[in-house]
Amino acid sequence: MPYAFLKEKLMSHLHLPDGVLPVWLWVFGFVVAILVGAILSRFIKKEDLTRRLPLLGMMAGVIILGASVEIVPIAYHVNLTVISGILLGPSLIFLATFIVNIILALFGHGGITVIGLNTLILSIEGISGYLLFRLFWNVLKRITPAVFLATFIALFVSTSAMIGVVSLGISHYEELIHQGSKGVFEFKLLKEKVDQHEGDKEEREVNLKRFIAVVLPLGFLGWLLEGVITTLIARYIHRLRPDLLRLERETS
Amino acid sequence: MIQLSYLDYLAIEGKSFFHRLSPGPKIIGMAIVLLGIVILRNLPGLILLYAILLTVFFLAHVPMKIFSLTLYPLIFAFLFIFISGFQIDFILLVFLKVLCGSTGVVLLLATTPYPLIFRVMGRFLPPIFVIALFLTYRSIFILLKILEETQHALYLRGGFQWRYPWRSLVNISNAFGHLIIKGIDASENMYESMMLRGFKNKIHYRGE
Repeated sequence: MPYAFLKEKLMSHLHLPDGVLPVWLWVFGFVVAILVGAILSRFIKKEDLTRRLPLLGMMAGVIILGASVEIVPIAYHVNLTVISGILLGPSLIFLATFIVNIILALFGHGGITVIGLNTLILSIEGISGYLLFRLFWNVLKRITPAVFLATFIALFVSTSAMIGVVSLGISHYEELIHQGSKGVFEFKLLKEKVDQHEGDKEEREVNLKRFIAVVLPLGFLGWLLEGVITTLIARYIHRLRPDLLRLERETS
Repeated sequence: MIQLSYLDYLAIEGKSFFHRLSPGPKIIGMAIVLLGIVILRNLPGLILLYAILLTVFFLAHVPMKIFSLTLYPLIFAFLFIFISGFQIDFILLVFLKVLCGSTGVVLLLATTPYPLIFRVMGRFLPPIFVIALFLTYRSIFILLKILEETQHALYLRGGFQWRYPWRSLVNISNAFGHLIIKGIDASENMYESMMLRGFKNKIHYRGE
């Protein structure tokens, strides 16, 4: 059943494919991603970056693995961007999401032309997850609500960003719809039939509301599930290796 | 994900003409395919491009098992159906663009080992970026091994059972937590090994 198939893969975020978005938009995505990457890399010392490269590679590997390993009975793919963001920090998670999107694109998951946009969307999740976790931890001083709220809100933010990106291409989709209708399925309508089919014109309009109505409810389920899984992972790490979460400074 | 190691195996062990071709022309070919996806806005053109890619796919003796990978991005393209108001011509256009892109990259990956692709990328990307790509690639195989061991432990603890959803979620999350901790330990060992071998922010290729 296609709907169920969609639900399974889509719940937490969406990797935009090639060929759907307008050129200006994905070029803009690359430019912004490079600029953000350059700015964030200024915050890390070169020696520190070299020392943390293997960790970055490992966490990028964890995200790729999470995105590719299916939890069979519920057919869900975990995201793990927020927990990676918490462990890596904002600068490194941006580079990690760039790497993840390149490898996933080479693997056929998501597009090559949209690596910049996909990186921005995914890094918004990781960076906001990190910042929100720090904020909630400072306020609540409890790992469970801090991680759950940070993950839930970060996923909501990244899904909203994805909807925002998709909505920026409306005029391009309209163009594609009209061009598509002039293609191999073109039929020469008689004059009197033109009026009859005026009603179809409305159907040829881009319907973003319907898109949002599908994405948000499915996303909501994903945010909940991802929130629970990320919280349990963070609790496990907190129990065995609390140093990785770097919470000592806040508690002392 | 297991298919990643299989793809890697195919790229290294494959004997077809496309496997023997150097990575440069294949990457240029992929760039042309991407250009086609961006420029082409009519169904016949995209059908022709897809037909060419499928022909190359089968000429390169890439197993059918891998073909399913090219269909994966359709899941994301499926959403655009809701934007278009179910216009069949628009849907076909989007699906063909997506299929051409995914078939192109899977074909490239199944005939070219990852390190050779990274080597070409290293000519125009910052070195630190290429190192991160290599380390991620290496990490995936380390993590796959840990995951395999963890799966056994997970199975012994009951795995995922619908009757006990909470316990199942805890089991799965603990498995991922274990994977992350083991991965971080492995990354620390990897860093020490790299330093001992004189790593100086550069990856050296065979023959350099």
